[in-house]
Amino acid sequence: MKVNAAPMNQKIWTPWFTVGVIFIALGAIVTLYRFIFGIGAVTNLSDGVPWGIWIAFDVVTGIALAAGGFTMAALIYIFNRGQYSPLVRPALITALLGYGIAAFSIMLDVGRWWQLYNPLLPRSWQGNSPLFEVSLCVMTYLTVLILEFVPIAAEKYKDSDNAFLKSLANKLGPVVNKALLFLIILGVVISTLHQSSLGSVMLVAVARIHPLWHTAWLPFLFLVSAIAVGFPVVVIESFVSAKAFKRSFEAGILSKLVKVTPWFLAIYGVVRYSDIIISGKAGYLLSGWGLLFIVENLMLIIIPFFMFINQKARTSPNGLLIASVIMVVGLVLNRLNTYLITYSPRPGWDYFPSIGELLVSAMLISLLFVGYKILANNFPVLSKEH
Amino acid sequence: MALSRRDFFKTSTILGGTILGVSKKSFAEETEQSIADNWGMLNDSTLCIGCRGCQSACKKEHGLDRVGNDPRYDMPTDLNADNLTLIQLYNKTETEYCFIRRSCLHCNYPSCVSVCPVAAFTKRDDGVVVYDKDKCIGCRYCQVACPFEAPTFEYDEAFPVVHKCDFCKDTRLDKGLKPACASVCPRGAIKFGKRGELLEEARNRIKDNPERYNAHIYGETEIGGTSVMFLAPKNIEFDDLGYHSWGETPPGALQEKIQHGIFKYWIPPVALYGALAILAVSNRKKNNDDNQSEEAGNES
Ligand code: SF4
Ligand code: SF4
Repeated sequence: MKVNAAPMNQKIWTPWFTVGVIFIALGAIVTLYRFIFGIGAVTNLSDGVPWGIWIAFDVVTGIALAAGGFTMAALIYIFNRGQYSPLVRPALITALLGYGIAAFSIMLDVGRWWQLYNPLLPRSWQGNSPLFEVSLCVMTYLTVLILEFVPIAAEKYKDSDNAFLKSLANKLGPVVNKALLFLIILGVVISTLHQSSLGSVMLVAVARIHPLWHTAWLPFLFLVSAIAVGFPVVVIESFVSAKAFKRSFEAGILSKLVKVTPWFLAIYGVVRYSDIIISGKAGYLLSGWGLLFIVENLMLIIIPFFMFINQKARTSPNGLLIASVIMVVGLVLNRLNTYLITYSPRPGWDYFPSIGELLVSAMLISLLFVGYKILANNFPVLSKEH
Repeated sequence: MALSRRDFFKTSTILGGTILGVSKKSFAEETEQSIADNWGMLNDSTLCIGCRGCQSACKKEHGLDRVGNDPRYDMPTDLNADNLTLIQLYNKTETEYCFIRRSCLHCNYPSCVSVCPVAAFTKRDDGVVVYDKDKCIGCRYCQVACPFEAPTFEYDEAFPVVHKCDFCKDTRLDKGLKPACASVCPRGAIKFGKRGELLEEARNRIKDNPERYNAHIYGETEIGGTSVMFLAPKNIEFDDLGYHSWGETPPGALQEKIQHGIFKYWIPPVALYGALAILAVSNRKKNNDDNQSEEAGNES
């Protein structure tokens, strides 16, 4: 698995980059305010609706969209499809940034953040809680991702002028490289665990989530949809990165990649609809919530399914991109519906995200793009064009 | 829409429960006896006159702030971090009404305990569900999980804490006293005691006075039973009082079952790891053997 990558070394300060930095600055002010005056001072959260977009979007949706990292790694290293190896490093840094951002937003959202190390203390272990599992998995997976990044950094610094960096790179690089396969498998196992556990989290909220979204199959559905969305996210990421670095968009290899996506979508769709029908929830499809459900399913399952199995749509750069975008929006909608939109508040309460919450989310999204640009610009992430 | 969400809850949990073989037993080792010995409370709405003495006593006992900044004190309208119990009026008609109390019900199989990622909520041997702020990370999953909307959170504090009824364990119960609310109620509408005895008492009250009472004891079986139970006047439905028929399966049961399944001796994750490792190594070998021929017939 030879990866032939190089740093981009291009001009960093483009107009879009500046916009991102401005959003980061604004979000940083809100963040500071939140830590001084409390969550209530910047959010619209309340006893009536305890989880808002910081959890539903920044953490839950973010982690689902970062699944590209582990699906790509599994494809290349476990199923040994070497021809896709140019895509593995970009997917890795996307996952690394995505999980870093998710971890940061957990820190922002939890009230007693200074005790966040508690899940590591045996006196606090609570194996019955899916959130306990998620917190351990996110910490471990982030460590694994950082380790997976070590060979990339080592490649950059192995001939560095700085003697310390050079010796570190030459010592650490080969060690991690040897363990890489086993780290990657660990990352895949941890991912399947917490992607599904994010579905389990809402099982208990049976009194709160609409029955069309609340099912015993939630953990399975969350896992399968995260796997399914992995490659379409890689498509979008490749497109954005091609635009940012003025490279060509490699639709050819990507359209081969998404050939597998319809399989997962089919499994997902069959399970989800059988469950609705067997457990007698079909009647809900005729309500307003049913409409939302159908819109979500059209975007997440049906439209991408037909576009990805269609040879013509899949192999045209536009078709490929449009199908991927539709599916990603569908997935975002699915996670928001499950965690937020169909959540029925305590009687008398309501929620709509505040400006502060939106600014923080904008900061986190900007961090992803700005971080990606900086990493790909300075480290051998993107493959050399031929 | 014919089905209401709540109707659905009942059937879906029963269905989910039987399909997956979830029983209440998958929780901590509770027995009928241990549950009967738990501390409990019987709230009799037919006796309550809405004086809110319990509400005030609770605030005083826990040293909680008054409502708002106005020196003229007023009543809270919802449970919150400064009000751990609340008396609310339900007015069905001019003559049919009752006062109903809200607080933590100290469930037999508490959802808050099931979900808290750091075991900040625990159920003591005497049945009291208690909170430990030194463990809590403030994720508010307990708020999402509790069907009775009991845990509240200090959203306006930089260093917030979760609050809920604790049966006055520190200041009274562990010193042999009844909780403050039960000891001030002038009508005896709040009876504190062992859950088993209270259940007996509730049945007797209904039997002796069928004209007066709704025949249902709320909390006897709901979500696996609660330590705090309710009696309502005849002709008034619990559903209208905000106490819904959630079915008998505790909301945390399914999730506990799944987590146990996954982490039983860590077999599933370790097995998955092993399988993937074998797959990866054998694929790699195969690749080395037939070298560059991987492109042909590639399905992925
Ligand atoms: S009422 Fe809510 S807070 Fe109280 S024990 Fe039950 S689940 Fe926990
Ligand atoms: S807010 Fe605290 S008590 Fe509630 S679930 Fe989270 S850690 Fe546990």
